Amino acid sequence: MGETPSLTCRLCGAEYRAVVLEPGERALCVRCDTVLAQGSRLGPDTALVFSLTGLILALPASLLTFVSAGKLGAERLSSLFTGVASLWGGGMRSLAVLVLLCGGLIPLALLATLAAVHAQARLGWPKADLRPLVRFAHALGHWAIPEVQVLAVLVALMKLGSVVDVRLGPGFWCYCAMALSLLIAERSFDFDSSAPAGGSGAATKP
Amino acid sequence: MSRPVARLGLRSNSTAAALALAAAAMLVPANLLPVLSTESSGSDRSDTIFSGCVELWKQGLWAIALVVFTASILIPVLKIAGLCLLLLGARRGDPGQSRRLTRVYAALDFIGRWSMLDVFLAAFLTGLVQFGEFSTVTPRSGIVAFAAAVVLTVLATQAFDPRVLWAADTESQP
Repeated sequence: MGETPSLTCRLCGAEYRAVVLEPGERALCVRCDTVLAQGSRLGPDTALVFSLTGLILALPASLLTFVSAGKLGAERLSSLFTGVASLWGGGMRSLAVLVLLCGGLIPLALLATLAAVHAQARLGWPKADLRPLVRFAHALGHWAIPEVQVLAVLVALMKLGSVVDVRLGPGFWCYCAMALSLLIAERSFDFDSSAPAGGSGAATKP
Repeated sequence: MSRPVARLGLRSNSTAAALALAAAAMLVPANLLPVLSTESSGSDRSDTIFSGCVELWKQGLWAIALVVFTASILIPVLKIAGLCLLLLGARRGDPGQSRRLTRVYAALDFIGRWSMLDVFLAAFLTGLVQFGEFSTVTPRSGIVAFAAAVVLTVLATQAFDPRVLWAADTESQP
């Protein structure tokens, strides 16, 4: 591997030399207490496995019935993108694009990026190639918010409970599982690409 | 303390300040204009973010009302206040505050996403509740202003470079 891999604290910029962590171990920045990396309890391939799971779940989540609503005999089935389509049709296009990006496309892109980063690390490809992808993943991370969409659906159901007869469909549960997979994949994601392959880096000042 | 910051080649915080200011300005129409109108069996009502919360509370859904209030009103205000604190702190450059301000930044980074709740809520309700004259939900202009405010706060947090909080410390290192 040549030179020792290094790690930079994403918040305060302090530099560290990377070490392999045991499962359950966490490396904190000495200066600002930020978690630099953590050894996954589920094994080194956690992030890869869960990002692939999330990608697979995205398909039924977007195709199957998300929620069905009935009112006075009229039944309405909605999919993940029904709201986006209604907003677009109603002339609120910027809002439609925002919802489509944050709740659908960006989580998908993040899952794909995480899978690509970890698959490459697993195959032992040169580490230098991963840096732009890791930066891309961090940038996407701010906008991938499927868990907020899940909360919004639950809030809407409580709100509608008395007015409309609402039932959750399989698409919604697949979407929840996808959101959870993304959360786990992101959490077990190495905070720095230069950490040793399959493991997790960090600790000790140079 | 702007000199060491410049020497370290860090991003300037003026972008973050401008974005935070724009977000604060956007919160005014976001909270004053109606975000959703509901038409149900003849009765018609338009809700702002706050009146929507009050309505939920009146229906007895106080837990949901609190969730919506936190995500849509409290978090955006906290984020802008927090950003002001960070920008002022970075200007003053007191090394004793670096650790605390970094925690503030990490917290802002974490809570920001939850304020998108109302946008998703509006999109979901619009898509689902389309029963002609029996029950129809239509999004109103306030939600666009609100979404813009949320996007601007997220951009402002991303534009802020937390390393400036440690500029004095990094300077003293070899």
